[in-house]
Amino acid sequence: MHFDELIGHLGQHTVDGLSKGAIYALIALGYTLVYGVLRLINFAHSEVFMVGTFAVLILWNQLGVENNPPVGQAILFLVLGLVVAAAASGGTALALERVAYRPLRRKNAPPLIFLITAIGLSLVFVELFGQVLPKLLGGALPDVFGRPRQIVGMPTIIQQETLFTIGNTAITNIQLIVFIAAVAMMALLDWFINRTRYGRGVRAVAQNPETAALMGVNQERVIMLIFVLGGIMAGAAALLWSMRFGFTQNSIGFVLGLKAFTAAVLGGIGNLRGALLGGLFLGIVEVYGATLFASNWEDVIAFVVLIVVLMFRPTGLLGESLGRARA
Amino acid sequence: MTLLELENVAVTYGRIEALHGISLTVNEGEVVALIGANGAGKTTTMRAISGTRSLASGKITFNGEDISKLRADLRVVRGLCQSPEGRQIFPGMTVMENLDMGAYTRRDSAGIAADLDRVLTLFPRLAERRKQAGGTLSGGEQQMLAVGRALMSRPKLLLLDEPSMGLAPLVIRQIFDIITEINQQGTTILLVEQNAQQALSRAHRGYVLETGRS
Ligand SMILES: Nc1ncnc2c1ncn2[C@@H]1O[C@H](COP(=O)(O)OP(=O)(O)OP(=O)(O)O)[C@@H](O)[C@H]1O
Ligand SMILES: [Mg+2]
Repeated sequence: MHFDELIGHLGQHTVDGLSKGAIYALIALGYTLVYGVLRLINFAHSEVFMVGTFAVLILWNQLGVENNPPVGQAILFLVLGLVVAAAASGGTALALERVAYRPLRRKNAPPLIFLITAIGLSLVFVELFGQVLPKLLGGALPDVFGRPRQIVGMPTIIQQETLFTIGNTAITNIQLIVFIAAVAMMALLDWFINRTRYGRGVRAVAQNPETAALMGVNQERVIMLIFVLGGIMAGAAALLWSMRFGFTQNSIGFVLGLKAFTAAVLGGIGNLRGALLGGLFLGIVEVYGATLFASNWEDVIAFVVLIVVLMFRPTGLLGESLGRARA
Repeated sequence: MTLLELENVAVTYGRIEALHGISLTVNEGEVVALIGANGAGKTTTMRAISGTRSLASGKITFNGEDISKLRADLRVVRGLCQSPEGRQIFPGMTVMENLDMGAYTRRDSAGIAADLDRVLTLFPRLAERRKQAGGTLSGGEQQMLAVGRALMSRPKLLLLDEPSMGLAPLVIRQIFDIITEINQQGTTILLVEQNAQQALSRAHRGYVLETGRS
């Protein structure tokens, strides 16, 4: 136990945890949106994120991005990365819905079938990106895809450096960008769901699908919308991940997806603000735990916390639903 | 002029046939009552008209158009709106948001504002509670909200499924007075009621459903 280390640098560990948790939270939104409307856990969402990181990777490779570009270019690469990752992840999520889930819904398949399908799809994507994609791309990106199942590095767009220090807490430029960008994306989504006409349609279907139809809401369109929105958030997470950690791999979605799903459940699945809270909470707890014990314990800690929280609050920290949570 | 016509409409739930081919017509400007015992198929008829249940056979014509296969949300655009059995308020939305849901398919903001005024004048109780969550309203208030919400779509035909359910006699009178008033303002109404006397006293015509037959 390294109690002194944790207390002595509590601020630092909190900042580290927040920037880590912000990425979990962005991915968690995808689980929560789909669950809120369809009562479906889209386990393939982790691969929606994975596809986003590969989109960023391919983009930066195609653009011939080098390490530490000048500021103007760095911003351009990041913005382009956001657009491309959001498009790729949003498109993947939409394709999953159209190709896999919608036909099942048409046939009134029981929930278990959706779950198995989601897990199956997830495996398909992981294998596709590990085996088939490198072969399809042939020699185009040899140093990148030539080694399937291995970590693929990306150029450093922004060199991590301390921006300012408060007491003994250093905040880096990357941490600040990740946190602000993630919170901004979530605020945008929150506004969209709670304040716009389309968002009201989403909430109506989440709360009472049959009556939503009686009011003229096209349910299929709402379902497409939530998959795309969740995908866009995962795409944003993919960009931030790529910027911060500078690598990806075909199996990257597994652990991150599991953490994000945990964050969604922690906060109260189906609740947008719960996803934010759950993500940040999980990030902080992981960093605290890793400091207190050892860093290889952090995954264990994440799930122990989940179990403990659910024991006392079975519906998560903020409780249920796009439905009830008015705002 | 005939606004709505059902011809030999049959609806099934799995293997159970709930409607065995019913026919009815509603003319423009009328209040038509549909009455029948529990389980007779009144709600099922409403679902068939609104499109939340598809037909096993038969035909529904609305305003001269065959809508038998039209999606439910598009029927709202055509001018059909239902206040469903059991109110079905969106619990997590405020009174205002619930009313806005009624106008979901409309884009004419001036017309929407006028209809909002009209609804809040018809139901002053709702005006007092604009910001309250729908789920926390009393039963009577929820019923007013359900009717008001349906009116917000400015329907040609308003479908009301048991608007008096679970309400105190005084409130029932109020609701029926408002139904008459809405009708006099030019909306055609198809009214499902358990309470035959009350319903028939307000209606121009009535149909009796006997377990799936009219
Ligand atoms: N979703 C459903 N699944 C299976 N059967 C159903 C379903 N909904 C209704 N039914 C059956 O269809 C028949 C007609 O039901 P419906 O709700 O239309 O009756 P109702 O006339 O509205 O009755 P009430 O006056 O009690 O509201 C009943 O026998 C009912 O059990
Ligand atoms: Mg009924």
